[in-house]
Amino acid sequence: MKKYLQVLKITFQQEFAYRLNFIMWRVRNVMQIFLLFFLWTSVFSDPARQFFGYDRSKILTYVFGILVIKAIVFSSRTIELSRIISDGTLALYLLKPINFFKYWFTADVASKILNLSFSLVESILLFLILKPELFFQSNPIYLLLFFISLVIAVFLFFAIVFLINMFSFWAPEVGWALPFLFIVIIGDFLSGSVFPLDIFSESAQNIFYSLPFPYLVFFPLQVYLGKISIPTVINGMFISFGWLIVLWFSMKYVWEKGMKKFSSEGI
Amino acid sequence: MDRAIVVDHLTKNFEVNVKKPGLTGSVLSLIKPEKKIVRALKNISFSVQPGELVGFIGPNGAGKTTTLKVLSGLLYPTNGFIQVLNYDPWERKEEFLKKISLVMGQKRQLWWDLPAIESFELYKEIYELPQHEYAKNLEELVDLLEVRKILNIQVRKLSLGQRMRLELIATLLHKPEILFLDEPTIGLDVVAQQKIRDFLYNYNRKYNSTILLTSHNMDDVVNLARRVIVIDQGKIIFDGILDNLVSQFAKEKIIKVSLSSEENIKEIGKIGKVKKISYPLVILSVPRQTVAVAAAELLQNFPVEDLTIEETPIEEVIRTLFKGSIKNKK
Repeated sequence: MKKYLQVLKITFQQEFAYRLNFIMWRVRNVMQIFLLFFLWTSVFSDPARQFFGYDRSKILTYVFGILVIKAIVFSSRTIELSRIISDGTLALYLLKPINFFKYWFTADVASKILNLSFSLVESILLFLILKPELFFQSNPIYLLLFFISLVIAVFLFFAIVFLINMFSFWAPEVGWALPFLFIVIIGDFLSGSVFPLDIFSESAQNIFYSLPFPYLVFFPLQVYLGKISIPTVINGMFISFGWLIVLWFSMKYVWEKGMKKFSSEGI
Repeated sequence: MDRAIVVDHLTKNFEVNVKKPGLTGSVLSLIKPEKKIVRALKNISFSVQPGELVGFIGPNGAGKTTTLKVLSGLLYPTNGFIQVLNYDPWERKEEFLKKISLVMGQKRQLWWDLPAIESFELYKEIYELPQHEYAKNLEELVDLLEVRKILNIQVRKLSLGQRMRLELIATLLHKPEILFLDEPTIGLDVVAQQKIRDFLYNYNRKYNSTILLTSHNMDDVVNLARRVIVIDQGKIIFDGILDNLVSQFAKEKIIKVSLSSEENIKEIGKIGKVKKISYPLVILSVPRQTVAVAAAELLQNFPVEDLTIEETPIEEVIRTLFKGSIKNKK
């Protein structure tokens, strides 16, 4: 599909046009890792210490993992959708012979590729500076499952962001606030990109696990670290895949509703 | 293909939320939203032949933009039949979208932070244009609109007029059979407006493409469109050749007199509506039926040196139409 290749290309260029924004965004991510790194190294000052099933190398791997996985899962252009809906620019997209979902997904992919390459370079630099002991998963089954869980996470995030942004069809004025709250609260906290979720009580964890959010960052990392048994991993995959189906169809359904709204009011 | 556009008994209603003023109003509208039906288009019918250039005029909120949006497939008609190039626009099939274009003067489709050429490259792929065709079209449009020097400059750094010309290229790269233009000259200075108009005129002649445009700028309509459709309050009140508009809507004629002295000049208002007095010239507007009587009275009672009777200028007729004051005159 040459169309979408070109969308990929132009999104890259767009990101480069906002070099400073992009760099600040990366700096923020790296700072977060620094903070977490020093926090956890002080907690695990004794290398033999174990905490919530983490040893020093696993928790530091978790911290580094956040950097890379956030770059893959959370990098997105679809967050602009609410603006496009509320200012009516959507009309121009609708009149182009292009699939709207594929268009935005492609734009997301461009953003992910860019962020991932940066996060890899950052990880290497951080690794050279901080010289942490890291955990490398060698079991191919876990690696394969890790990869699958990442793919699910990417699509889950797309559907969630798309859904939230479509709120603008009904309330154009709150458009930007909702996605923002989502990134701050859900994105950072419930997905496990601040603290690993297994430091919470078991009942809280059960609730988290029944929601789609831990499957964005926390779950893939648990799989990589091999912290959960294969049956638990499979179980988690069923739940997250179930969520993906539910959210994907909700997305299409809400889109249809939104289009009806858009076409009856011509926002 | 016989007709490019067929619109038959088209009705379009909007449902809008009504909010009472103040905070209480905001809260109330959250709890119990009050809906109001706005009847934007009321049973309109018209058709357009391929290659025609039609201007839509009418006051704000008359339904001009709504008509263009329904025709391009953005709005779903409440009632009635529409066909554009033998497609139902609402389905927005890819083949259909490749044959039309909508330019909205207030919305931009070029990537703001990139040079326009990057957006053109994207549209080339989106419309699946072969390289040679794209190169040929682009070359031609760039020449016609004189934008070669600004192709590689970030769009955000360009003036509105430059940007509008580039926007036009973006919408014409795929050589649409039908072009919908909504306020294409809004916010442009006189020179830039003229450039856009000249271009549209030549484009329409050269490619025999059908063009429908709405504009607030009567120069656009007067200079471009031979046929105009006047919409007011969702209804078509005139559809035809521009020249006929005058005889149908100008209920008054203009009498210009040159006077030899200022004697009685204050009395002249009794004969007709005084539009301008700058001695020795006086311009009066008089109802069509009584123009002969008025002229005779003038000759009899005033020191007239010269007298001419003219039609109301077309610009003025349109200006009155824009103001929506037709009903009062009827």
